[in-house]
Amino acid sequence: MPDPSTLCEALVRAASFPGTGLRILDREGHAGFHAWAEVEAGARRVASGVIAAGQSPGACTALVFPTGIAFFEAFFGVLLAGGVPVPLYPPVRLGRMAEYHTRTGAMLKAVRADLVLAEPRIRRLLGETVAAAAPRVPRCLSPEDLPEGSPGRPDRPVAAEDLGLVQFSSGTTGVPRPVALTHRALLAQAAILESFLVDRPGAIHAGVSWLPLYHDMGLVGCVFPALTRPGVLTLLGPEVFVARPATWLRAISRYGGTVSPAPAFAYALAADRVRDEELDGVDLSRWRLALCGAEPIGPAVLRRFGERFRRWGFDPGALKPVYGLAEAALAVTFTPPDRPMSTVRLDRAALARDEVRPDPDGVELARLGPPVPGFAVRVTDAEGHDLPPDRIGRIRIRGPSLLAGYLHLPRETAEVLRDGWLDTGDRGFLDRGELVVTGRDKEILVLKGRKYPPALVEQALDGLPGLRAGCAAAVSHRPEAADAERLLLLAETSRDAADTDVAALPDACARAILAGTGLLVDEVVLLAPGTLPRTSSGKIRRREALAAHLAGTLSPPDRVTPLSVAGWYVRSAWAFTRGPRPGRGS
Amino acid sequence: MTDGEILDGIREVVHRHLDPEARIAPDTLLVEDLALDSLRLLTLVVEVENRFRICLAEGDEAGVRTVDDLIRLLRARGA
Repeated sequence: MPDPSTLCEALVRAASFPGTGLRILDREGHAGFHAWAEVEAGARRVASGVIAAGQSPGACTALVFPTGIAFFEAFFGVLLAGGVPVPLYPPVRLGRMAEYHTRTGAMLKAVRADLVLAEPRIRRLLGETVAAAAPRVPRCLSPEDLPEGSPGRPDRPVAAEDLGLVQFSSGTTGVPRPVALTHRALLAQAAILESFLVDRPGAIHAGVSWLPLYHDMGLVGCVFPALTRPGVLTLLGPEVFVARPATWLRAISRYGGTVSPAPAFAYALAADRVRDEELDGVDLSRWRLALCGAEPIGPAVLRRFGERFRRWGFDPGALKPVYGLAEAALAVTFTPPDRPMSTVRLDRAALARDEVRPDPDGVELARLGPPVPGFAVRVTDAEGHDLPPDRIGRIRIRGPSLLAGYLHLPRETAEVLRDGWLDTGDRGFLDRGELVVTGRDKEILVLKGRKYPPALVEQALDGLPGLRAGCAAAVSHRPEAADAERLLLLAETSRDAADTDVAALPDACARAILAGTGLLVDEVVLLAPGTLPRTSSGKIRRREALAAHLAGTLSPPDRVTPLSVAGWYVRSAWAFTRGPRPGRGS
Repeated sequence: MTDGEILDGIREVVHRHLDPEARIAPDTLLVEDLALDSLRLLTLVVEVENRFRICLAEGDEAGVRTVDDLIRLLRARGA
């Protein structure tokens, strides 16, 4: 049989292998096995319903489901009907729906979705969400509500160059960018990942994942490779992991997981919150690839995780930092399976000048491995000229699974994709062929494995008394000793702000951001008016502001220095005093 | 269960899983006062469900802002 050229073909082929499929754990830990043949049968039902509902080929259908069999039936059903599935995150229980409606409505609008398929209970909540996609309001149905299709196989032709998935990437402004990926690109990425899963006699790789299915690491990273492999992929919902991180480790033990990826924050959460007694009888010795990506990695976190779970058979050598992004479908570089995590230490002052100078006492950064098969990585200056190996610059990549483009956004696509090379917006260098990421130019926030536009946070401050309207910068970065990136707000006070207001401002900012975005701010820095660096057109330069803040050189222009405000530099202890505390052993 | 017992249960969940020193009163704002980002909010929901052996459905959240709102919701769900 030739290799499958579309995800549809891959599913049909997988369905012919008995014993392969998905094992989905519910909140009580009960496992349900779903053979790929069952997924295919369900997908065909959905496909005929989607066609009967009038979806035209190539149209986007948004999917809003928790982790469960219905998601997969809907996902592959849309594909079999010749459509493009767009998985979106479901609302958080007890979460603020206003923010959800606005953001999700904007995503529906961005892909021009005609149809939303949702789990029945979630569907009832989406009225305002689809209304927010106006003027083109999509229909919102649960799979059970789809019209009865014609019996038999719907057979819409699907080609390798057709789109197989739209996943979202964050831009600077409020609206996330829809990353359009072809079947060819998605299967190329699946083949890349599979090349790292070398089975040994009697030891077939088995995946375990709690990652959301609307996240590239969950769907592209875990589900697609499973289609072309023997064995069973074990899935649990992200809410199960978050509430009880031990369930992740227990699932790996119970189902013989050899490969399981997660963002860095998850390794920290597990190391800090899992209690010894939750791991009775757990054996982590078969876990060979503990992949870590999706956000900047503090090497210390991974070492802490490795030490913490060694007693349960975990091999710290299994920890593999990797690098990827939604625009590349997923993985771009990969720590080789046969080599433990390694790091470099660099001189801090040289780093600030974009120079690579080793220093045994310097800042420690993880090496993220060489490019995966078929990918190439270059480090260039702003104009695209290659830099010597001892210089830090813009990371550009080329490979077989790059995006076809941002959907309906040709200008934004042309900004990042030139002559087949994608400008990642990240900065770093190659150390003997292995990528080291040192920071980024693109103005996005990376928090707990997810990317957010800074405008989202800044808009939450609208109308807050004491602040200068529109003069705030939300930035995130990983301080040297921190596990993960921290959210920092640099905000200018208004000229007429009284000292008493100013003292209460950090707390007010933190509350407004939490209420408006669900994000915890780690530090609020108040600045005198006119302090933040701007472009000639008046746009705040966020990365420059962060760099100046870290260097201690962020100061107001001399001419506007009212004594009462000059030098105001309030560091909020807000999140530190109320933030989560490690619950180890408690 | 009385409202007081439900309040004690919520306090126990918050102290055990989120913040051992948080002040929990009926007028406590869940998100703002307890500093609940989406991960911590999810932890609260799941642990409250475990504690009271109930299941909050999507859609139950409408209008839940304070501890008192949560008490009323839990009572409506049979706690």
